[in-house]
Amino acid sequence: MDTLEHESAVIATGASWADTPLPQRAMLQYEVEQFLYAEAALLDARRYRNWLGLVADDIEYWMPLRRTVTNSDLDREFTKLGEIALFDDDHMYLEMRVKKLEAGSAWSEDPPSRSRHFVSNVRILDVAGDEITLEACFHLYRSRLESDVDNWIGRRVDVLRRTGESFRIAKRHLFLDHTVIQSTNMSTIF
Amino acid sequence: MADGTQHAQAWDSASLQALFDPATGWLDRRVLTDEGIYQLELERIFARGWNFMCHESQLKAPGEYLVSYIGEDQVIVVRDEDGQVNAMLNTCRHRGNALCRAEQGRAKSFVCSYHGWNYALDGRLIGVPGQNTFYHGDLDRSQLGLARVRLESYLGFYFATPADDAPSLHDFLGETGRAGIGMICAHGEVEVVEGVQKNVIDCNWKIAVDNIFDWYHVPYSHASANTAGFFEIAKIQQPKNQLVVLGEYGHAIGGPGIPQDAQAEIDRMSDDERAAASRAAPQFSPKIRPREATELMGRAGVRSEGHPNIFPNLWITISGSQICLRLPRGPSHTELWWFTLAPKAAPPEAKREIVRRINHVFGPAGLLEQDDGENWSQSTRAARGVVGRQLGLNLQMGLGRDKMVTNDGGEHYIEGLISEHGQRWLYRAWTEWMAARDWADLKANHSLPPTGIV
Repeated sequence: MDTLEHESAVIATGASWADTPLPQRAMLQYEVEQFLYAEAALLDARRYRNWLGLVADDIEYWMPLRRTVTNSDLDREFTKLGEIALFDDDHMYLEMRVKKLEAGSAWSEDPPSRSRHFVSNVRILDVAGDEITLEACFHLYRSRLESDVDNWIGRRVDVLRRTGESFRIAKRHLFLDHTVIQSTNMSTIF
Repeated sequence: MADGTQHAQAWDSASLQALFDPATGWLDRRVLTDEGIYQLELERIFARGWNFMCHESQLKAPGEYLVSYIGEDQVIVVRDEDGQVNAMLNTCRHRGNALCRAEQGRAKSFVCSYHGWNYALDGRLIGVPGQNTFYHGDLDRSQLGLARVRLESYLGFYFATPADDAPSLHDFLGETGRAGIGMICAHGEVEVVEGVQKNVIDCNWKIAVDNIFDWYHVPYSHASANTAGFFEIAKIQQPKNQLVVLGEYGHAIGGPGIPQDAQAEIDRMSDDERAAASRAAPQFSPKIRPREATELMGRAGVRSEGHPNIFPNLWITISGSQICLRLPRGPSHTELWWFTLAPKAAPPEAKREIVRRINHVFGPAGLLEQDDGENWSQSTRAARGVVGRQLGLNLQMGLGRDKMVTNDGGEHYIEGLISEHGQRWLYRAWTEWMAARDWADLKANHSLPPTGIV
């Protein structure tokens, strides 16, 4: 994928993938979507430890900042890897987030949030060896306490790595459609 | 700023002073929710004081600009063709539209999207469509430049005020404010890492500010970050080695401090020895400051490993590697802006490690900060209840138990256990800013740091 990652890949790339016969592509699409839905269900069910089991040891889990910029400054719309980000996690940090949620003293999640992870517009962009690069839209709805509501919406690029019958998430780059975050916190996993 | 509003009538000086009693530590809960108090804060605190805008490294080239705030007034801060940095209100002199809708960017001039009025990077009105036809040449462009506000910098940190009668930034900051900024620069030149995290918390801005001095909440509020292995509270909190430094106009530093005997040992070390000791220290220990840091921070200030606040709303944290603005958005909302400063000289890998670590501390997804917002928003919410708000808020910890020391450098500080001296100083200054009609009144009627038992 030689397109700038933060720009939606309008046309799926990867010549070999595009040339793959439709039945195979449809099968893989089905497998990938079912995996993403199952993953979302784990998060919605607050089964964070199980979710961590789907995460590859070398995961790059990243959500850059987005800025309100003019058309002429779009190259500065997102921060880049190595700059300030909302999430800049490897496996160790994701495990810390899970441990925090399990600690019994994560007050921002006790009472726990009610969340619903929607994944849509899934498009496989490339298949290289055992790695599948896909783009999807996400909508994470969270309601908290009596009346707090958060909607985080955006695009993401995932790399799934095949492990036998399932996958591991090797990369998740999340590009929010928000600049100033209208939320007290982001104590959830995307 | 102009007074005479309904709010000034509803809240006269005596009733404002009565909102906080420094002798008992009781704070009236209405300071968190009252719309009239909030409107007066915009006039008497934000439009009167020096507001942090940005660091010089954020505006490298001519034409680079960003939009910041004085209270709820948007301010364009821009480097012009001569390299000069200017600050002016982001509002067209014709019909008030915003010139900049982006939060940052590059511009050759600022053109209003409403009717096309065009302003130079120094705010001069340089173009008005139809000025000779529709305006018949009657428009005096020289009187219609963007409203400039005073802009001054200290160690590369720019602050702005619309108040012509305000003291210089240097004098406003005083020893304590300068020590706070000195903390950021104590290890050498810094630059802002690209990206300012911004999020809104449903709390009054002051509760986010007073929390800066609150080292009592750390083990409880942030217990889960400790359990998760992110940091060791026991190593950071230092409940018995607290150092609170108070300065005029509400500036203060609160939190852990290096005890005098430990500092005496540091004072005997060369800079090389300090650097070596810092490298050998456990991970995430604050780095020992070099000799010249004492010049920047003062002999008491240099011992602080806590949190300076530049009154009203600029928090300096993590030994100066992050600063946070708490911007008022009505009595019940606060926008937090996190700026990250990294040493200019740090090699890329070291910088990457600093940034990765910092990305996990504060900000909405930060392992620490996740748990702060809801405490503040629920405290603010409770103040809306007419019954509960009569109960007041208690800030009595350590009251009458500590001794104020003034050293020959003119620093005023308290050493001892965790306390609420910093919070009391903040609210005492706040009532004085609110009660004063103008800078002359504030200069004449603000508290100097107390002496003796406090």
